[in-house]
Amino acid sequence: MMRMVALRLALTLPILLGVSMVAFALMRALPGDFAQASAGTTTISVEALDQIRRNLGLDRPIWAQYLAWLGNALQGDLGLSFATRRPVLGELVPRFLVTAELTLIAGLMALTLGTCTGLASARLRGRVDWIVRGWNSLLLAVPNFVVATLIVLLAGLYFPTIGIFTYVPFAEDPVANVVSLLLPALSLALTVSVTISENTRAAVLEVSSQDYVMVARAKGLTASAVLRDYLVRNALTPVITVTGLQMAALLGGSILIETIFTIPGMGQYLFESVTTRDYPAIQGIVLVAASVVLLVNVAVDIAYARVDARVSYD
Amino acid sequence: MTHTDDRAESEILAAASPSLDRRTLLRLALAGGALGLAPAALAQSGAGAPKRGGRLTIGADADPIGLDPVTLTAFSSYDFTALIYSGLLRWNADMKVEPDLATGFEQPDPTTYIFKLRSGVKFHNGQDFEAADVKHTFDRIRDPASASPSATMFASVKEVTVVDRLTVRFDLHAPSAAFLSYLATNPTGVIVPRGVGELATKPVGTGPFVFESYQPNQQFTLKANPSYYEAGLPYLDTVVFRFFKDQASLTSALRSKAIDMTWFKDPKVSAQIVRTSPDLVSAPGKTTRTFPVWMNMKAAPLNDVRVRRALSLATDRAACLQTVLGGSGKVAAMVPESHVGGYDGAGEMPYYKTDIAAAKRLLAEAGHANGIDLGDYLVVAANPLDVSCAQILQQQWAEAGIKVAIKPMETAPLIGMWLKGEFPTLLSVALSWSPDPDAIVSRITSMHGQGKSSGMADAKLDAMVVEARTILDRGKRAEAYMAIQRHIADNAYVLDIYQYPLRWEAWWSHAKGYAPLAANIRSFVRTTWVDK
Repeated sequence: MMRMVALRLALTLPILLGVSMVAFALMRALPGDFAQASAGTTTISVEALDQIRRNLGLDRPIWAQYLAWLGNALQGDLGLSFATRRPVLGELVPRFLVTAELTLIAGLMALTLGTCTGLASARLRGRVDWIVRGWNSLLLAVPNFVVATLIVLLAGLYFPTIGIFTYVPFAEDPVANVVSLLLPALSLALTVSVTISENTRAAVLEVSSQDYVMVARAKGLTASAVLRDYLVRNALTPVITVTGLQMAALLGGSILIETIFTIPGMGQYLFESVTTRDYPAIQGIVLVAASVVLLVNVAVDIAYARVDARVSYD
Repeated sequence: MTHTDDRAESEILAAASPSLDRRTLLRLALAGGALGLAPAALAQSGAGAPKRGGRLTIGADADPIGLDPVTLTAFSSYDFTALIYSGLLRWNADMKVEPDLATGFEQPDPTTYIFKLRSGVKFHNGQDFEAADVKHTFDRIRDPASASPSATMFASVKEVTVVDRLTVRFDLHAPSAAFLSYLATNPTGVIVPRGVGELATKPVGTGPFVFESYQPNQQFTLKANPSYYEAGLPYLDTVVFRFFKDQASLTSALRSKAIDMTWFKDPKVSAQIVRTSPDLVSAPGKTTRTFPVWMNMKAAPLNDVRVRRALSLATDRAACLQTVLGGSGKVAAMVPESHVGGYDGAGEMPYYKTDIAAAKRLLAEAGHANGIDLGDYLVVAANPLDVSCAQILQQQWAEAGIKVAIKPMETAPLIGMWLKGEFPTLLSVALSWSPDPDAIVSRITSMHGQGKSSGMADAKLDAMVVEARTILDRGKRAEAYMAIQRHIADNAYVLDIYQYPLRWEAWWSHAKGYAPLAANIRSFVRTTWVDK
């Protein structure tokens, strides 16, 4: 088991290297750079723009820039942000914690909503099934940023006094902090819950037609015992996979949701850094986001072994 | 309550239009904070004496990118430098130049300015403000290694000399009417202290507010400067900027009173918000920027003046203004109304009167009797106003048989293409406020890299622009810029559609003493007080 974890973790390193290389190349392939993007239409001479590029080291060949970045990154130095001239690492850590909290809350919401609707739909069938599936189709069709914008507009229109835009730092007031993240987390969770719900429904339906479930019923176990011990536990494996995979969706969704709700997290930071072509910041964010997704995947594999007796890594 | 002395007022106006016959020292008596409150600001303030203390929360739509006025290039930083730093001169609410850190200046000849500096002014770190700081600032701006965007604007400066502790002399290469405008503009002309590094993250100025803290994407906090030179100002203890990148969130934040004041990018949104409560104030914005259609005149078909004139004749500028801005703006020529020689939107301009038949005739003469396809028309995707105006133009031009395909693009690459003249035929990017009309019209001369690369080669226009730069008399200068604009419209080098404010400002009525400034900075937060 430990060997397997160590191996999986070691395998993430080449993947991270590849991701950082692709991100580096992609950003530089985009037209426009920091000098241009930050100046906008402000009057500035071409010589001054070139000097800004030289000051930032953007005049060197791409491979030299990448190797310099990689060398520093390996020593834990992610460089200075072009925009704020402060270390990227220092900018990133507090923002990462905010996004981690947001995605955690959103993940819990999506999991609760998804498994409940999925279970209800599979067990009760009939009208409940139709309502759940209709609701899921609707959510799947509406992107999360539309939901977020609607929440913002409706809340602003009908409940102008509730402070949904007052993001409260955790250190200041933990309760208010969580409350301030509820609506953004909900708009993130709704879309993700659909995938979980549909998978739960399919898994439960599949498991309920298995022989051992019929046996369990036949020997007179109560419906709740069958549900708890036979259905849910066996249907859990695909649901865990899907939830893990949705981690990437949550991180991706946070880019727009954080921008709309003005939450100072990693998503908003990425949005801004891409707009201003703040290369060091983008590299740092990509590295962190990729690590999170990879680690979650490793965690999912470990979780398999815990819930499914057939899976063993020894 | 302070009062404005009439004599001082008239001398200030004279300072804005220095003429050769005024060689004597303009004694710009600046008693206390008397001139700090410009007439318009006083009118805005309403009844009641200012209250001290309190906190003003402003909703900002962008984070600053650097706070060192010498090196910063981003407009989003101006909001902050405007309150932290100050310069020798500044703009008053009527967009006239008035003294700030200087008490006045003497102009012994057209290329020499001798400024007397205010005594007793301190930087936020306690350091005395002296002539050497002025020299230090301009040496930094002119040093190529600084990559300062202000370097172009002060290219006319030959040398800055410290005469004594509180006197500084500027020698120019040639007479420059724009020089004082640039000095008055924040952050272009603001003064930074000697021997202080890292201004980009730890700004130190002489302005009414002192930098306190900045959490990116969250808030930016400023405290009142206790040793600010204008007696009694600022009234506020604290100014907090909170960041809202989404216009809908900004709207909701204002309505929920999470912020006291903000500005909007769309006049319709602003008008709608203000209607929701009688306690919301909106200012009639001054037009400071234009929405032009830039043309690539290097090659056919736009190198043919007949095609360009046909485009101008096929355009109904007033209809664009009504539909896109709900009439909140004016028809534009090259220079916005708030500048010397700006166009008021009502006067006659060649080829401005919509005439489809005449447009078709011109096209036929140019060999396009069956209409013409101009291909891609590039617009900034992030600016909905630009996109909707482009759509209306597309329909208008279609009536004259001119076809375009609108192509919305990301801002940074679009600007790169615009500056280098590397776009197919048509491109729109709104032109932001510049301190002086020279910066606007220079863009389309063949002496300017941008003009040259988009195919400009008009020696007459170049000469007109060079001459207008040196006219120090305000009235004559205005005439020169009107003539330049007429010449541009006559040749249809640029299709200017409408002029409008950069932002539409709105605030709750408990914030008093505030007035918007056409220079697109919130200077008058220094005279604002809160009465909740």
